[in-house]
Amino acid sequence: MKLEIIRETLKNKSLKKEFAVITNLINGESEIFFPGCDLSEMFSKYSERIEKTFNLNKNGIIENSEIFVQTYKNPIKVIIVGAVDISIYLIDYAKNLNFEIIIIDPRGYFASKERFPDTKIINKWPIEAFNEIETNSKTALVTLTHDPKIDDPALQYALKNKFFYIGALGSKKTHEKRCSRLIEAGFKEIELEKINGPIGIKLGGKSPSEIALSIISQLVSEKYKNKI
Amino acid sequence: MSNFPEKKIFEEADNWIKNNKKVSLATVVQTWGSSPLGIGSRMIVSEDGDFLGSVSGGCVEAKVVEECISLMKNKKICKKIDFNVSNENAWEIGLACGGDISIYIEEIKL
Repeated sequence: MKLEIIRETLKNKSLKKEFAVITNLINGESEIFFPGCDLSEMFSKYSERIEKTFNLNKNGIIENSEIFVQTYKNPIKVIIVGAVDISIYLIDYAKNLNFEIIIIDPRGYFASKERFPDTKIINKWPIEAFNEIETNSKTALVTLTHDPKIDDPALQYALKNKFFYIGALGSKKTHEKRCSRLIEAGFKEIELEKINGPIGIKLGGKSPSEIALSIISQLVSEKYKNKI
Repeated sequence: MSNFPEKKIFEEADNWIKNNKKVSLATVVQTWGSSPLGIGSRMIVSEDGDFLGSVSGGCVEAKVVEECISLMKNKKICKKIDFNVSNENAWEIGLACGGDISIYIEEIKL
């Protein structure tokens, strides 16, 4: 592999492009593959199978060949509503787990640059904030304010847009009340099963960092369950 | 900001090369059974034996470092190394998990 390919990989990742690096294991020649683009002669006869591996978000050697594919897809987007203490720990854990974090909080004194120096923060109400974020079925939502005015509209948006993971902070009682409000708003009970409430896997911890750990663990587990 | 797994490794490889070091890249290209790290796991090795990243969680790294140094010394382009438990050599290195892995090593060229 040439240094140029390594530099291109770093550049493409920083530009949030999705691509694969393909290597001929016989001679060590590498090339960058972008979906829909032509490859050089050495790789072109494998292009369909390279694209298939890329689409499955997998790495590996193409069957009956010596062509290795390393896929680079964008990280899973995790939208956190509430710039609270737990969010600070969540960001810390997410750094090494290939999650991209976006924080929404209309309360400026919470969502300050001082508290969240390297994070994308949208200082707006969720409905306005979602206009600025591209979301799909590979997006996750974590609501942490337990203020219905802020959390509920975000939960409604995530339910309608079929996010792969939805988690809401709050006790069982808080969650029951939340569910009744969402049913009043027109959601069906079966749809509400998608919400992990109380949020996180059971660790027994109570501190913000322990709650963040239980949330991030549930996110990792749901990522693999949903094959994302 | 989230980091993709190889970010640190690639940035460091670039730094080492800028400092006129020879650097090899080792990549897990195939696994069978219960292997410690997945396909695509990577590590870099300098001609001095410095390394960053991981290809097995500690079982075969020492051997991979040795192989990378010898690859660069002998001016070879690349090599695929198979590690498995039935291989006496691998037993010595201690792939205790019982899995088999193929690791591809190559010098990063300017």
